[in-house]
Amino acid sequence: MIWEVFRQEKSGDYHKHCGNVHAPDREMALLFAEVQHGRRKPTNSLWVTPQKEIGEVDTEDTAFGGTTDKSYRWAMTYNFEAAASEVEESESEQASAERERKAQIEGGS
Amino acid sequence: MNVDEVKDRAGPREFSPKDDLPEEYRKAATRMLEFHANSEIMGAFLERPFIRKAPSIERKMAFSAKVQDEIGHGQMLYRAAESLGVKTREEMLDDLANGDGKFLNCFHYPMESYVETPMIAFFVDGAAMRRQATLKSTSWEPYAHAMDKVCFEEGFHVKHGEAILYELMTGSKKEQEMTQEAFDEWWPRIIQFFGPTNEKSTHHGFASEVGLKQMSNDDLRTAFLNAYIPKAEKYGLEIPEEPRISKNDDGTYEVVEEDLDWDEFFTIAKNDYEPGVGQINGRKAAQDAVEWVRESLDSHENRLYGSSQPQAAD
Repeated sequence: MIWEVFRQEKSGDYHKHCGNVHAPDREMALLFAEVQHGRRKPTNSLWVTPQKEIGEVDTEDTAFGGTTDKSYRWAMTYNFEAAASEVEESESEQASAERERKAQIEGGS
Repeated sequence: MNVDEVKDRAGPREFSPKDDLPEEYRKAATRMLEFHANSEIMGAFLERPFIRKAPSIERKMAFSAKVQDEIGHGQMLYRAAESLGVKTREEMLDDLANGDGKFLNCFHYPMESYVETPMIAFFVDGAAMRRQATLKSTSWEPYAHAMDKVCFEEGFHVKHGEAILYELMTGSKKEQEMTQEAFDEWWPRIIQFFGPTNEKSTHHGFASEVGLKQMSNDDLRTAFLNAYIPKAEKYGLEIPEEPRISKNDDGTYEVVEEDLDWDEFFTIAKNDYEPGVGQINGRKAAQDAVEWVRESLDSHENRLYGSSQPQAAD
């Protein structure tokens, strides 16, 4: 049986997918995950879940975020100096997400 | 863990659902999260009419995107609250519908006119975002994770609100006057967003000792006023004479508390004050109208897994 493994590097971080292992049960899956994925990279916590329990939807199935122009829902569209540092930070996160999305679309076509 | 250990360990994103936390912590975190989630939902319902009422297709689409975002924030926060094992999402939504669920003072007042929208979309959202930015380092990890996504999205809300304010304040004389009137009406409520000064806030002490709350109401209010008074003035809004606000030499602000109507603030918080009751009942009607959707989802889940019991203590 295949178990997907998620590693959290330090307390408070997100658990991110890092690979999978063969194991006959959850206890051994955790042990193998520890051996394979927790030894070298900084690790605070590991999750395992049976691979068949994972659901997936990807870019072949759907267009994430839609296919129409949705510039109205991004901070960059509204050309004003950010009122406060947290607004500025949010805008720069949105701008870099937008760049990544564009690169993805161009790369994929 | 007992309360003293929690206070010792308290730090950003320190506690997660796998920690054995004392009831006092779990209740305090639930109270904060439920209030926050309820406010997201009530804020969304407050702005919903402007998907229809907004004057251009761009504004309608932006309002629609914003309402989607806010409902999503509410859902994420209910999940973060449920993971404390104190209340289920159903209980929180039912309490919101029957008037037991608390939410922000500003969202008890409906908006009649489009000129009021920047009061919520720029000032109240700006105030909320100031507070939310500090909650990225709250001690309840699921809360902090929700704030990562909320703050990512919120920049659009505030700037969209600012764009409307700019448009109105560079519009006709009539538009400018109406916007100023709306500002005069909303400004005291906006100042009250951060609640009374610390002495009067009963829950602040514990919530900050266990790292749930990161900044005092007074510090948040000061940071908000520092950023948003200059913006209001830049667009030609006159700051109302009351409440009297003075700036200290150290950059903090003094708000004369007696100038604000705290009776109304605390009455409103009880949820039995018009027009707040209308807002609560309006959302209840929407919840009732889609009861059949919840029922069919539950029975579908039952067929598949044999149970649809809410998992409060996950």
